Amino acid sequence: PLLPSGWTAEKDFKPSGQGRLSAASERSLEPVGPHFLAHARRARHKRTFSEDDRI
Amino acid sequence: MAENASKPGPEPSDRVVIGLTFGNSNSSIAYTIDDKAEVIANEDGDRQIPTVLSYVDGDEYYGAQAKAFLVRNPSNTIVHFRDFLGQDFKSIDPTHCHAAAHPQDAAGTVSFSVKDKGPEEEASSVSVSDASTRFLRRLATAASEYLGKKVTSAVITVPTNFSDKQREALIGAAKDADLEILQLIADPIAAVLAYDARPEAQVKDKIVVVADLGGTRSDVTVVASRGGMYTILATAHDYDFAGVHLDNALMEYFAKEFMKKHTADPRSNPRSLAKLRLESEATKKALSLGTNAQFSVESLADGYDFSMTINRIRYEMVGRKVFEGINRLVEGAIKKAGLDVLDVDEVVMCGGTSHTPRIANNLRGIFPETTAILAPATSAEAINPSELEARGAALQASLIQEYEADDIDQSTHPAVTTVKHISNAIGVITVGPEGEDVFTPIMPAETAVPARRTVHIPAPADGGDVLVKIVEGGTHIKVTKPEAKPKEEANGDDENDEDSDFDSDEEDEEKREKLWKIGELLAEAAIRDVKKGGNVEVTINVQADLSVTVTTREVGAKGGVRGTLPGQ
Repeated sequence: PLLPSGWTAEKDFKPSGQGRLSAASERSLEPVGPHFLAHARRARHKRTFSEDDRI
Repeated sequence: MAENASKPGPEPSDRVVIGLTFGNSNSSIAYTIDDKAEVIANEDGDRQIPTVLSYVDGDEYYGAQAKAFLVRNPSNTIVHFRDFLGQDFKSIDPTHCHAAAHPQDAAGTVSFSVKDKGPEEEASSVSVSDASTRFLRRLATAASEYLGKKVTSAVITVPTNFSDKQREALIGAAKDADLEILQLIADPIAAVLAYDARPEAQVKDKIVVVADLGGTRSDVTVVASRGGMYTILATAHDYDFAGVHLDNALMEYFAKEFMKKHTADPRSNPRSLAKLRLESEATKKALSLGTNAQFSVESLADGYDFSMTINRIRYEMVGRKVFEGINRLVEGAIKKAGLDVLDVDEVVMCGGTSHTPRIANNLRGIFPETTAILAPATSAEAINPSELEARGAALQASLIQEYEADDIDQSTHPAVTTVKHISNAIGVITVGPEGEDVFTPIMPAETAVPARRTVHIPAPADGGDVLVKIVEGGTHIKVTKPEAKPKEEANGDDENDEDSDFDSDEEDEEKREKLWKIGELLAEAAIRDVKKGGNVEVTINVQADLSVTVTTREVGAKGGVRGTLPGQ
């Protein structure tokens, strides 16, 4: 939508009052497929997506 | 783990790997060549190899040859033993072994008594794990002969409800057959992987229902596929609506037709019954391919030959109860996952019974048109349902063959596989055709974190300053009742009467659609001076602790707005 006039925020970004996600559920991934193996590699080396992209 | 020290296994560089599906009724083997999976035929030319072992004059037969001996040598033929692995004798269901060697109680575990050394020797007791070892060895040998290299390692698929004890028993049996198990993977996930690994497939966020319709059991699994990673949302297992029940229905039908002409009942004599069963199954398979099939058995009962043709329509009447049971099973699994048929993007049909055109057509009727039903009868791009799991296993085997056994163990550890999945979708609010707020999803619910998604959203036509509102969203099913009949309108003033028993408009189906509901506002961001007709790019990155980073900018522009919401 269009920006209402008079809207301001620090660095143009404003978290809402709640400002966080609703509770998530714990589930198990199936350890299968190339994308899981990439996830496992990131998880074991504690890398983020962008770090992983650079390698 | 200490256990690993005692099982050296081959070096990763020396491995020759295959994918293996070990079923109660049939098994298959597959390998990968140039990243494409191929199913291997054994020396009999079979790609679906019956899971049967038979002993005649001290010689061992397996597969189709052993299955043929169910007529003349049933007591030395072992069938349907996969599900007995690692089970207590008390907990098994021996129904399907009735016409072959009977399972026996051996100190709580299951074994079979067969004359495997010769007709004059004493019968020996073959435990279920021995039988599995012998059968797996024959499969590995068939693959080795085809590949010209000794197969050292395999990925095997197992049902989702296989217990740890059953898994251990399977790994043990394979080890005794000189086969290193790299990993046991779930049947339905192997089937999904076989589709997703095709070069033309795109990684998408989708809900997949896998209907694995086998010989003696049917398993339905609801899977959330998110960025190529799979999470099982619900499973349903059934032992009453499977291929063997279709065989039984055909056997009844043919036996009655036979009795119209002759006095003997072919079901009253074990050998006649065995012939009836083998031929009924063959006729069933023919009816999946053609609309007419021949049923003929020499000397079916009392020395009479029997031959008749059956068309597919008749067969579909005969098997209707089983087909309806499969429909209920699929619907039940979706319900168990808390979903609606409208939420399902793909139905992957696998297992031998999935060749049946009627079952695929029935499912076509249950799901909306946007849902892809991947079966030979309903989709031109469907892969052979019998081969899916073996292909998936072969692909997984080729992916992990370079890994050390320790690496595989660590990667599949619950610490890695158990992660948070967001419970609501995350998206932005856009303006609909009538100026209303519309939710546009960026990351669907049940996405495993950490995850990252990017979308491009057209800015208002005139450009200018844009407010990006990041919100959570959920879906709900809107049911639109058909237009009220004039009769009801007349009673419109009486509100208590609205749900009266006047319900003659059954032919008017109610219209059901999936709609997005806008949930909690998470954050707002402003993008200033967007060009006319420009696009805004929004990237959402959810970390493992559920903190959210939002990056948003005009496509083609530098910089942009970036903000972070705290985690939990």
